[in-house]
Amino acid sequence: MAYVAARGGEQATRQATLLYHALNGPITAATVRAIEQSLPYLVDRVMGEGSLYAPELTALAIAQAGGDLYEAVLLLRAYRSTQPRLAYAETIAQEQMLTTRRISAAFKDIPGGQMLGPTLDYSHRLLRLDVLDDRGATGATDAAAQSHNSRETGTDAELVQADEPAPATYPPVAAWHRLNGLLDPLPERDPVDPAELPDVTRDPISFPAPRAHRLQSLARADTGGVLSLGYASMRGYGLIHPTVNEVRLGYADVNLRHPITGVVFSAGRVRVSQAEVVNTFAEGQAKLALGFTATLGWNEVKTIAGSMLDLEMDSPDAHPAHTEEFVLYHTEPVEASGFCIHYKLPHYVTFSSSLEALRRVLDEQKAEASEQQGAPS
Amino acid sequence: MTTHAYPNQARYLSVLNRAPAEAVKQFADALIPELGTITVLQNRTGLVMLPMTETVKGETFYLGEALVAEARVQIGNGSEGYAACLGRDLEQALAIALIDAASAAGLAHERIDAFVAEQSRALDDADRELLRYVEATRVEMETF
Repeated sequence: MAYVAARGGEQATRQATLLYHALNGPITAATVRAIEQSLPYLVDRVMGEGSLYAPELTALAIAQAGGDLYEAVLLLRAYRSTQPRLAYAETIAQEQMLTTRRISAAFKDIPGGQMLGPTLDYSHRLLRLDVLDDRGATGATDAAAQSHNSRETGTDAELVQADEPAPATYPPVAAWHRLNGLLDPLPERDPVDPAELPDVTRDPISFPAPRAHRLQSLARADTGGVLSLGYASMRGYGLIHPTVNEVRLGYADVNLRHPITGVVFSAGRVRVSQAEVVNTFAEGQAKLALGFTATLGWNEVKTIAGSMLDLEMDSPDAHPAHTEEFVLYHTEPVEASGFCIHYKLPHYVTFSSSLEALRRVLDEQKAEASEQQGAPS
Repeated sequence: MTTHAYPNQARYLSVLNRAPAEAVKQFADALIPELGTITVLQNRTGLVMLPMTETVKGETFYLGEALVAEARVQIGNGSEGYAACLGRDLEQALAIALIDAASAAGLAHERIDAFVAEQSRALDDADRELLRYVEATRVEMETF
């Protein structure tokens, strides 16, 4: 396919951009702060797909793009490309994350217990029309949350604290499987140099992909794309019927090494979500198999669907839409959205060439038809 | 002059990075007159890659990158300080690097220790508060 640059229309394109911004209204620092504070799950989703943990800049990207998430992810990725990589953090481990939510659909009595944490899973999905009438303003305050909760459940429920705090950390549920002989033990591995891992931002991905490439790709994949392919597996196109072994939301320390003294310290915490799904009778054998996905920010749908795809991608007879190449190539948000929207840009010469070929064929067909009509029977 | 680690350096930096940036900047401002000539060796934003271990095969992969502000300074006695904190606040990084350099030089030890202890208590309290809310969501499932 050939591309031909088009020229002209500078005034019109400039006006188009101005009109876009005029219709969306002004962007202020207050707007950006409001997005960051009131839409944390949206910010998380864009950070995950942008593969950059920067809540303030992500809120700015969302504001600047008028809420178009693909544009916001592109802005974030573009910003990322302007920044030098300064360091590699120490490796994050699940059992060290400050955990706010950790549930299992496989076992009710998991070590450490089931913590629902912050979730709307058990709430009524009703629009709060009273908010629009200024009769029930809701916000991030405890009082508002209590009020919201009471109205929603029709009870006198209040946001309360337990006397004692929950544990800050928990072991992976998979560790319990391994202790009980349900999963093969983890292989012994030499310590890895974090700077030497395969990196999809620097190396082209090839198939079969190193597991590090696969999981990095899933971590930065399009939520909708991962869900769509994962849902196809859940509905029956997949070869497995998995169970959610663990969903975990928490905060991970970004531990860095002091370049002068070598001391490891935390540069702050990032929100992380991860999921494991488990399949019984994997590959026709009486054994368990696990799928895994994690991402920056709290995004449960993506990690659950991604974990199912991780399992599917290991299946020898996976559906064509669940092979590693298909999944990883088609869930990359910037490449997919960019390729899709490039079709609206001028293709005049290529299309003209296609029309010319079409007209030639039509002329030839017409000539053939005339010849056949004129030919003696 | 070679700069060595000081006791509690990891704790100091970890606490200061999560403490309210304005409070840290004000505290560092007050220290400046005692630090002699300050040379800013580095003050920039950049990325830190975050590796994570998965639970299926125990392999390590890149979860994504985090934006950090970084600073490296030298103070009058030759001690160097360093900081890297999440976000793009270059002044916050500079302030923490100055406190790091002061601590490495043994300057204002009691004041710095008291400030870090105060911030640490506030952060620990916030974590404890959060985890008490989380504990209230502990669920005992029943099966029928």
